[in-house]
Amino acid sequence: MADIEIEIDGNIINAKAGEMLIAVTDREGISVPRFCYHKKLSIAANCRMCLVDVEGAPKPQPACSTPISDGMKIHTQNDKAKASQKAVMEFLLINHPLDCPICDQGGECELQDVAMDHGSDVSRFTEGKRIVADSDIGALIQTDMTRCIHCTRCVRFGAEVAGIMEMGGTGRGEDMKIEPFLAEGIQSELSGNMIDVCPVGALTSKPFRYELRSWQMNAVSNVARHDLVGSNIYTQTYKGRVKRIVAKDNESVNETWISDRDRFSYEGLSHENRLLVPKIKVEGAWQEVEWNVALDFAVRGLEKNVRQADQLGALSSNTATLEEFYLLQKILRGTGSENIDHRLNVKDIDNTISLESNIKLAGLEGVDHALVIGSNLRLEQPMINHRLRKASLSGASIDVINAMAFDFNYRINSENIIAPNQTALTLASILKSVLKSAHTEVPEYLGNAEVTEIATQLANQLTDSDNSVIILGEHVINNPQALSISNLISEIAQKTNSTILNVSATANSMAAGLAHFVPGKGGLDVNAMLAANLNAYILLDIYPQYDFHHSVQAIEALSNDDTFVISLNSFKDDVVSEYSDVLLPIASFYETSGSHVNVEGKVQSFTAAVNAPSDAKPAWKVLKVLADLLELPGFHYADSMQVTSEIMHKSYKQHVHDENIDITVKRGVNVIWQKSPYAVDVLSRHAVSLQDTKIGQINSASMNKATAKKLEITQGDNYLGVPVSISESVANSCVFVNANHAIRGQS
Amino acid sequence: MISSIKKLVKDFSLGELRAGMKITAKELVNKKITVQYPEEKTPISPRFRGLHALRRYPNGEERCIACKLCEAVCPANAITIESEMRDDGTRRTTQYDIDLFKCIFCGFCEEACPVDAIVETQIFEYAFVDSREGSIMDKAHLLEVGDKNEKMINQTKLEDSKYT
Repeated sequence: MADIEIEIDGNIINAKAGEMLIAVTDREGISVPRFCYHKKLSIAANCRMCLVDVEGAPKPQPACSTPISDGMKIHTQNDKAKASQKAVMEFLLINHPLDCPICDQGGECELQDVAMDHGSDVSRFTEGKRIVADSDIGALIQTDMTRCIHCTRCVRFGAEVAGIMEMGGTGRGEDMKIEPFLAEGIQSELSGNMIDVCPVGALTSKPFRYELRSWQMNAVSNVARHDLVGSNIYTQTYKGRVKRIVAKDNESVNETWISDRDRFSYEGLSHENRLLVPKIKVEGAWQEVEWNVALDFAVRGLEKNVRQADQLGALSSNTATLEEFYLLQKILRGTGSENIDHRLNVKDIDNTISLESNIKLAGLEGVDHALVIGSNLRLEQPMINHRLRKASLSGASIDVINAMAFDFNYRINSENIIAPNQTALTLASILKSVLKSAHTEVPEYLGNAEVTEIATQLANQLTDSDNSVIILGEHVINNPQALSISNLISEIAQKTNSTILNVSATANSMAAGLAHFVPGKGGLDVNAMLAANLNAYILLDIYPQYDFHHSVQAIEALSNDDTFVISLNSFKDDVVSEYSDVLLPIASFYETSGSHVNVEGKVQSFTAAVNAPSDAKPAWKVLKVLADLLELPGFHYADSMQVTSEIMHKSYKQHVHDENIDITVKRGVNVIWQKSPYAVDVLSRHAVSLQDTKIGQINSASMNKATAKKLEITQGDNYLGVPVSISESVANSCVFVNANHAIRGQS
Repeated sequence: MISSIKKLVKDFSLGELRAGMKITAKELVNKKITVQYPEEKTPISPRFRGLHALRRYPNGEERCIACKLCEAVCPANAITIESEMRDDGTRRTTQYDIDLFKCIFCGFCEEACPVDAIVETQIFEYAFVDSREGSIMDKAHLLEVGDKNEKMINQTKLEDSKYT
């Protein structure tokens, strides 16, 4: 579009023809009041607050829906514009209650601000105001619909961004109400953003209700570590506690939105289960001690138990920061051990996925085709799903290969429900079809694969599109042929010129790769460590019943009498205290400085928003002191940024797998074991409001009738401790477990 | 020369003493303005800003809704408020402290209050001598002052209402 010149308030401004006027004034810093306009939502032009005077037009025009043209002369501040803005403001305030003093939006309210600037000081309205009954729309959002000014931002957010139209306007005129269509309340995984878009106090945060006024808090930029995106957020703190989390704009990461998990997990920080004091176990009894005593005890324990360097192992959860991963592996390598791992939930490390993503998050919305394999993307990676939804809305076709039908919030071109043990075969036939249509030689290992109609379709979609992406999800990591699947995908991607997005390892596991937190030469991986009965472990924020795939074996191995276990934990846990010998309380999310590495490899550093409660300390400091006490060289760090820059100056070669591909179908029932979306890490498990939502209560082992019959269980039974739900949407011979509590019996 | 003679005459005729005695004599018969505090007290303006009080509605419900505007406007940062949702769903304070050491009795809190909950009464005899803590008026204490003096508060606000 061509550059044109327009005149706003007497200043000549260059802009693109066809741009909306309000976009130009926003860019130029000219203030135009608005309520319904939001840069990420469609234009509704229903609040009429942004009226400005356009020369030549008989009436004032709404800036949000007036496209500019060459030579346009606009007045935003003249008498005509001001008079119309004042008139609209008066209309909007007719039915708005005067309850700012008890409204949680007070102090950060767009209506309040605009009324101060453009409203009249005395109301001429003497009739009664309208009152609207509230409906309970769930554990996260509080409604006060009397305050609603019908801007419809929340309605448009639901329809356009969240993809579930949950809120809507009913009735007309005086009787118009914005309300949820369903009595069950809001169920979207992005629902919290409605709080951010609401310009008044009609939708506010329920957990935060009446706690503080907005001016009392300090906002600290931070990064959420729950998923592979690393959404940018503001942690709003008051007297050393995180009180609320709101989204921070970052176009290349999370745009303007954040998921509910990122927004509400902070509640867990003040949970009574926080581990607050260092403890040591002396003759089977726990003693609360000072830090120096606990650390001395830990060091002496290590010296006593680790007679050979390779008798020490280090394991970490995926939520640790980049610096924590790095320091822990540096300690281990400093003592001469290579037993380091973070892939606790992987059944067989030698047979799992190792794929590198080669697409940027922002690039994801530009794809014209996507093949999603093994992921319930909407709940597992909400922000990545949002990007893909944007691609879908602009015409991309999305194909899915899953073991169970999931609820996607965009149109799926073809949804293929395929048993886990058939996934490799399906991919093989896709690859074969791709190779055949390109008239290239078909390698021997694809011999058995039959090119089915579905495979041809999926293959054609990939080859025909210029910009396609293959997204590989978490459900595949423990597939019996995970390695083959991984290799097949990289082959397909290469042959079809597709990009790859690997979302199979989540939270901050990309940082573990960057910090080389994997076993080196001669080192043992997690499962080998547990089988080898090591004499000592350093565990970083691990809750074995949730985190390990082989949780029973892990607890057994760690509980050995002659195994010395140092646990750095942020929360108390009975199982952890059973096997540990030293418990060191560490800072949780937002209480430590560090870095998150997201799926595209972007390193985002953050500072601590608050101090850890009581005696808890940031894990990187604990590890640094531990290293000093072990007299290891090279731990002279004054702050975590020094660690970060040390990491940035190193580069590790990725672990290369062999090109082994095996596509034979393995018989038997496959269990896909997934933590439910709001139970992925220890902090979200302790966030009370999140657990009260529909998504938080997901807890089922889904299987179809045939599988249930084979396993001899019926509806109402438990499988692996999870209630069975029989549904034909699950592939044959497959149990899809989505558990929100500790699992003790899994295989 | 002449001025020094004048001074000499004035000094020897006890001029200044006579001027002083004249005032004394005048005050001897004039009406006294001295007040015998504490038995007697000077009149106080209805706008006098003394000790703070938290008021209640006639039905006994506390007025304060924890909007924290007084806390925000206080130039001396003397007010501390913590709020929560009470069981009946209303917004209430769990803590309302005014530090009288910090308070400068400007009356801004009273002016900011949208529900006339915090007021400054005419009470000015509230010496606290025991400790630092004694200077902090907590919520119970403030409500107590309000309950005891509701009549006086009502009266003075009524008198002052003509001028606001």
